Amino acid sequence: MRRKALAFDHFLHLNVGKCSNFGSGVIFEYNGSALVAMVGKNCFAIASDRRLGVQLQTIATDFQKIYRIHHTLFIGLAGLATDTQTLYQRLVFRHKLYHLREERDMKPETFASLVSAVLYEKRFGPYFCQPVIAGLGDDDKPFICTMDSIGAKELAKDFVVAGTASESLYGACESMFKPDMEAEELFETISQALISSVDRDCLSGWGGHVYLVTPTEVTERILKGRMD
Amino acid sequence: MMKIDFSGLDPSLPVKGNAEDLDDEILAAPSFKLPVTVDFDGFQKAAVQMVKPAKGTTTLAFIFKHGVMVAADSRASMGGYICKALLILNLYKINLYLAASQSVKKIIEINPYMLGTMAGGAADCQFWHRNLGIKCRLHELANKRRISVAGASKLLANILYSYRGMGLSVGTMIAGYDESGAGLYYVDSEGGRLKGTRFSVGSGSPYAYGVLDSGYSFDLSVEDAAELARRAIYHATFRDGASGGVASVYHVGPGGWKKLSGDDVGEMHYSYYPIEPTTVEQEMADVRIA
Repeated sequence: MRRKALAFDHFLHLNVGKCSNFGSGVIFEYNGSALVAMVGKNCFAIASDRRLGVQLQTIATDFQKIYRIHHTLFIGLAGLATDTQTLYQRLVFRHKLYHLREERDMKPETFASLVSAVLYEKRFGPYFCQPVIAGLGDDDKPFICTMDSIGAKELAKDFVVAGTASESLYGACESMFKPDMEAEELFETISQALISSVDRDCLSGWGGHVYLVTPTEVTERILKGRMD
Repeated sequence: MMKIDFSGLDPSLPVKGNAEDLDDEILAAPSFKLPVTVDFDGFQKAAVQMVKPAKGTTTLAFIFKHGVMVAADSRASMGGYICKALLILNLYKINLYLAASQSVKKIIEINPYMLGTMAGGAADCQFWHRNLGIKCRLHELANKRRISVAGASKLLANILYSYRGMGLSVGTMIAGYDESGAGLYYVDSEGGRLKGTRFSVGSGSPYAYGVLDSGYSFDLSVEDAAELARRAIYHATFRDGASGGVASVYHVGPGGWKKLSGDDVGEMHYSYYPIEPTTVEQEMADVRIA
């Protein structure tokens, strides 16, 4: 069983609006999102969809879900949009303070622990976000991880996914992924996995946003997808 | 086993004679077995709730000088969530927002001069439209003339009214051409039946109405009316998450219905709004990295 049971699956006691008889996951399906990060040979790619919606209505098709912490560390945030924006602002604040004190950027493993701690601080009133962290660590070794909304880290060597389209993304990545791909091939793979998965999800899609990071450069690309 | 018998409400049953020659199944009014439950009212309420969120679609129809234009998208999303009545036995959670199919036929051909649109439960719409087609054909054979659109929609509305409160989910438009000209009726599973000139049904209908109402005129040509219908469906698929796939457009004229087009809305977006790479964007990107 590849995927650990993550905490938000069991939040049956949470009352979110009128949805108490819906079960736990409805608040995560309010805005809609799809995030995926993949590891290649000395590089990584992180991709998201571009939709911001209010349940079924689409509000924006250029909404940013992947944020840059420093030049080789990116965090993608899936879930309730207001919480993702607030959480990002908190994390950037913490990283800037760290940079002032330590006079260097944070390593991705350290940043992941920071995110986990910040999320667990709100254990009994959590941020409804699922982060995907991707960065280049020591010796330019790519690092990816995801966590649930209360900070349980899941490290992976190949790919991590998050969002309303996560089940389709797991299937697509599992079948398309190969280890040690070069940058261009990694870009193709992650783009195909993202586009084919969001086409099966009503709440995500409307384009794609891919960041491809190698030790020497960061490439940002917008994907042309189905706008329905 | 209990059976609900609605034959009293159905006026079109022919006089019983030579009943042995004809299959009883065709002539008898549809009756469905009821489940054996302890709490039937509770089961009914849960059943109604189960289908409720499922009207994820966009369909529209309007009357104009040359007949009726009917259009629909083709996406089906899975409706349903945790059904309380069955929690005791097994907990099943269906992903409400999974796009189960991008190629569902939502415009149903009742007979060569009448179309019905599908919104709500797919099974409900398919079954009752086919049942309506049977009744229309029987009317033709019994009365030696075609049934009017008003009559056909009344038949359907009466059937749906008799099942009111039992959890059917049907939001359909009956469009056709008969002796009094073009006819368009909206019929739903609450038992409502409305005659009108412009309708749109489904979760994407507000967006379709916006485009349809601003571009509509009675004197449109067939091509312009088809383009209006296609564009209204496209805009609804763009804004509504539960609509998408292919925009089908049908025209019902004096000679019957004809399918005019079936265009993929993903490609339609880029033909209406082609991508133009601008130099301004390039400059701004350079500044940001530095």
